[in-house]
Amino acid sequence: MKNLNRRDFFKSAALGVSLTVLGTSKAKGSDKMLSDDRLGILVDTDVCVGCRHCEWACRVAHNLPTPDLDNYSDNSVFKEYRRPDAGSLTVVNKFENEKNPLLPIHVKVQCMHCERPACVSACIVGALTKGDDGSVVWDDDKCIGCRYCMVACPFQIPTYDYDRSIDPHIRKCDLCTDRRKNDELPACVNICPNEALLFGKRDAVLAVAKTRVKRKSDVYVNHIYGEHEVGGTSWMYIARKSFDKLNMPHLAANPAPGISESIQHGIFAYFVPPVTLYALLGTIMWITKRRSGDDDELISDEEEKGKGGKL
Amino acid sequence: MNKIYFIIIPLVLVCCLLGSNPKLQTKNPKMEENMVLLQDKIKKKKMPENPYENMMQGLKCQSCHAGDYPNKNDPMLRACLRNSMLATFHFSPEGPDEVVIDAMSENYNGVAFSHKIHAQMSDMSTGCSGCHHYNTSGRLLSCLECHDSKRSREDITVPDLKAAYHRQCLTCHKQWFHENGCSTMCHTRKTSNSTGSVQSPPSVKGKTHPPLKEPMKMVWETNSETGKIVTFFHNEHNKIFNISCETCHKQDNCLKCHENKKHDDYSGTVKIKKSFENHHKACIDCHKGSSCQKCHRDSEREPFNHVQSSGWVLKSYHSQLSCAKCHGSQTPYKKLDRNCTSCHKNFITGNFEHGKAGLVLSENHKGMECISCHTGSDFSKTPECKTCHDDKSYPAQSPGKRGRK
Repeated sequence: MKNLNRRDFFKSAALGVSLTVLGTSKAKGSDKMLSDDRLGILVDTDVCVGCRHCEWACRVAHNLPTPDLDNYSDNSVFKEYRRPDAGSLTVVNKFENEKNPLLPIHVKVQCMHCERPACVSACIVGALTKGDDGSVVWDDDKCIGCRYCMVACPFQIPTYDYDRSIDPHIRKCDLCTDRRKNDELPACVNICPNEALLFGKRDAVLAVAKTRVKRKSDVYVNHIYGEHEVGGTSWMYIARKSFDKLNMPHLAANPAPGISESIQHGIFAYFVPPVTLYALLGTIMWITKRRSGDDDELISDEEEKGKGGKL
Repeated sequence: MNKIYFIIIPLVLVCCLLGSNPKLQTKNPKMEENMVLLQDKIKKKKMPENPYENMMQGLKCQSCHAGDYPNKNDPMLRACLRNSMLATFHFSPEGPDEVVIDAMSENYNGVAFSHKIHAQMSDMSTGCSGCHHYNTSGRLLSCLECHDSKRSREDITVPDLKAAYHRQCLTCHKQWFHENGCSTMCHTRKTSNSTGSVQSPPSVKGKTHPPLKEPMKMVWETNSETGKIVTFFHNEHNKIFNISCETCHKQDNCLKCHENKKHDDYSGTVKIKKSFENHHKACIDCHKGSSCQKCHRDSEREPFNHVQSSGWVLKSYHSQLSCAKCHGSQTPYKKLDRNCTSCHKNFITGNFEHGKAGLVLSENHKGMECISCHTGSDFSKTPECKTCHDDKSYPAQSPGKRGRK
């Protein structure tokens, strides 16, 4: 009886493992093919003058409260490093340029719209989706407010409306989906006086970035941030200073969701592993119960004997 | 639409800002096609009252491509003419005093660009081609010809018009901010009262750049192990060697001098960190192959002296000449050989009045070839009689009379 149990255990375990492996390989293979027409934006930090018009335009486009545009000339905001929050989906930060202190480097921060977005993979209800156009957008109706996406994001971008306790929103750049439906450019791209934000198809934008870095090799560091980081991102950056020093996280080329997704998908693939697990647990329970059933019988026998003795 | 063109074209003609034709630059398989389009454009646009008629040269494929069949891998590009063109045909005072840019004035009034003072300043750094970039030989191109007025466009390799204008200004005026620059110097928001005529702010209107105080001698103490002292004679390079400002200061941002935000205080230049190569580039570009000791010495250098530097004594006639007379107008000046006939092409036998050299030749010697006496064409050395004469009459009879004639 015991031997049989053990065999059963190994059998079911082997089945479970093999299915997990199968599931993992399936999870990797199921990576969506990205459209050739997907969009990209290049941030040329050498062209950006830090006027912060993009911040204003973004707030207006997303119906967020904002001071008048003329108030954006206040340079004091650059004193400390800022991150996007629920009230500002993009912010510009200033960094020192050691070579020429009069020409500081300005870096805009917003959702990078990853090619293989970790937030999408982390979202358990599918509220975040990667569109064919390359944008990663959030669905108000599906979101349950678990904030897994905030943890998963390698750039720590999605922010949470802590103020709105009843109907909180996950907020991040949506590449101005609504504006683009009306054939308009994203608000930040549209307003930028210097076209420091170059908008187009990702391939074309990347080609421009490569040309600029090559042509002005004395100005730019030979690195296009976002070309390969976490499997590539829609927003890309070129700069005259190493990106580590511009507060951009140092990330490898493998997609962020790779490991977590394969585990997650492996565990839940076609629901076989959980079913197997429950079956296994059920079997153990059943065996244990049966064993205790035997014991019960023994006890009842003894009781009967005892009773008989008494009698 | 035609009206707009009517306004823009003359404006641009008198040169407003940039005007780029990257289509010539990019190695594009469609290049031939683009070229044809450009030629058509030039032909179609008849310009009214063209003040630079002589600059009108049609652009041909051969202007840029040496071969008959240029392709993507081998575009067979000639040395680009764009830099020489403006220097050849045009100098800054010729340009207009003010240019009104109103190609993109939806919410703002047009911008009055004070061309004169900017052109003057560009003489000190980038030259006309700093703004009028990629302008090949021919007329000045309108910005609009290459820079699309719409941001949403097919070819994103070239900045759109709005960016092109702003980049021109903000490369130097990087400290301008809204009411602190942008709206006081360039943009005024359109109101119902706007009359439409735009003028430069009074602080700039009609102004010229104050004369520059040129440094004479600059002495630096460097970290170099051998020869700590570097002496640089700024005035010599400019005046004697005739090197234009832009040769060295091409990369300099205006901010290098105009550090302070205030318009009336330009004190102090900014130290810009450069790599070893960049630091020496300005000198090495001309002084190729010179040893370090040319600049790096243990003591301060003496001013330029023709005898010390070249060994050629500038006497009588030569001392009165400008450098360019012998060395040509091309800078940096090239070293000349000591052969008189290299410059004096007419100094040939029978044509040269030897009396000018201090010796009137006797009849016997008059008809002889120059090199018969001046062996090895070394005219700086006085010929010796004994190379020809071994009879005893020498030196009783000289080859002529001493004295000038």
